[in-house]
Amino acid sequence: MTSTKARRRPPWGVYLVLLPTFALLAAFAYYPALNGMVHSLFEWRPGFESPFVGFENYLTMLGDDLWWASFRNIGIIFVWAVTLMWVFPLLAAELVMSLSSERLRFVFRTLLILPLAFPAVVNVLLWQFMYDPRDGVINSLLRAMGLEGLAGNWIGDPDTALVALMTIGFPWVASLPFLVFLSALQNVPAEIYQAAEVDGAGRLRRFWSIDLPMMFRDVKLLFVLAVISVLQYGMQAHIMTGGGPDNATQVPVLRMLDAAFVDTSWGYAATLGTVLFVLTLAVSLVALTLGRKADA
Amino acid sequence: MSRTRRTDLVAGAVLAVLAFAGLFPYLFMLAASVKDNEQFFAGYWSPAWPFHLDNYAVAWEQVSPYLFTSFVVAGLAIAGTLVLAPAAAFVFARFRFPGRGALFGLIAALLMVPSITSLVPLFVLMRDLGILDSRLVLIVPHVTANTVFGIVIMRTYMAQIPEEIFEAARVDGAGGTRLFLAFMLPLSRPVIGTVALMTVLGVWNDYFWPLLTVQTDAYRTIPAGLAFFANQNAQQWGPLFAGYVLASLPLVVLFTFLSKWFLAGIQGGIVSGR
Repeated sequence: MTSTKARRRPPWGVYLVLLPTFALLAAFAYYPALNGMVHSLFEWRPGFESPFVGFENYLTMLGDDLWWASFRNIGIIFVWAVTLMWVFPLLAAELVMSLSSERLRFVFRTLLILPLAFPAVVNVLLWQFMYDPRDGVINSLLRAMGLEGLAGNWIGDPDTALVALMTIGFPWVASLPFLVFLSALQNVPAEIYQAAEVDGAGRLRRFWSIDLPMMFRDVKLLFVLAVISVLQYGMQAHIMTGGGPDNATQVPVLRMLDAAFVDTSWGYAATLGTVLFVLTLAVSLVALTLGRKADA
Repeated sequence: MSRTRRTDLVAGAVLAVLAFAGLFPYLFMLAASVKDNEQFFAGYWSPAWPFHLDNYAVAWEQVSPYLFTSFVVAGLAIAGTLVLAPAAAFVFARFRFPGRGALFGLIAALLMVPSITSLVPLFVLMRDLGILDSRLVLIVPHVTANTVFGIVIMRTYMAQIPEEIFEAARVDGAGGTRLFLAFMLPLSRPVIGTVALMTVLGVWNDYFWPLLTVQTDAYRTIPAGLAFFANQNAQQWGPLFAGYVLASLPLVVLFTFLSKWFLAGIQGGIVSGR
């Protein structure tokens, strides 16, 4: 490695190689990101005069009830995502590792993650059908069981719409948490399990004393990723409910897009985007620092 | 019955239920995609005979433009990414020059900028450039995002390749360009494959950008196109589900043959986060 790096003449060619990449990133990554932040301070009307308004957009945001309601909703989604949506993958990972035959493990692992092979949008559209009030799977099942009275308009009713959105993909085993839990368990050295068995530790004891501590690092990472992805949550809500009914499923991303493309308040949309970005960045940076400390 | 055997049975039974629950919507989709509406209502829970493959013909008519555009966008985005990312990664991994750390930091910092938060300013930029409602407007953000991701993971990969491999070539008088083209690129095939697969997954999962930037139906990629298709075919259950199957096929094929890379692609975020 030393000989490449310690070249005698200054490697001007190096900068030439990097130039096209940085030109592209300057135009389509740095510029829009910075432009959004700058224009969060303007009443932005693309193509027309855009007056500077200071922090007016930010003040509007503080009084924007819909914006805060949308944070309440992603708060609920987040809590759901790091509890229920982890329990099933964790259970599945533990059970797969409990199987004695390598072949069975492979078969079940494949079947469990197979839904990942389908595009996310297909998953959402299929669940939209599951919830269909007239012909959907859930209501048809309830009717078949004679529970006609329980059938509902799941995504049309403000009381159930958010839960319906969060239930998409049940039991959530075809997911990143499952892959992470499974590979964490596979990495537990066999000697540790053998030692635990010699000490007479049961299955539950093993789970609490060995598996969970071994997975702690990965769980932290999943937690951070869950925060980041919930801040960007939007596609499912846009397809199924559009943020409705009665804003019961409003989320920050949809609020931002509405500000831009429905209200044509581009400056305000830029403000909301900037706030979302700063929140994401803060979470990532906190996670990075915590991660460093833990490793040291 | 031995203890292992009993554990296997219990675990297997629970896993079978979980796997079935996860796969149920897809199984239902497959069964319903070959039923006409009469069969759909008569045999709601069971597969029906004869198969109505004409549902697929109806769906193909509407979904094939989305598939075509998705392939074009993914293909050109991969080409663009591969022109930029490997060379830049090579430079960062193998050369020492003033500003190396700072420049790489600038690129890595972009990993922390979610595409959705700069969607609005990027949209305005594309509008000012006059390229809204084109295939180009769909391709550019994928090239940008995957170049950033590609440089970060390819640099790590290339830095791990032992220097000895290059020594001999250098003794023979090979310069940086030749080292890159003749040695580094072929050796980097696995990581190039990962980046290409990430690009395809990105195109098949990016919903808001195509939804907002293109109006021409044929320019829609799968996510926005399929959502539109779903609205157009409400209650036409057979063709609707056939369309979902067609839209899924490319990813399912990739998953079948490249499942290792596919999963690495899904876990890409977590890998680069370390």
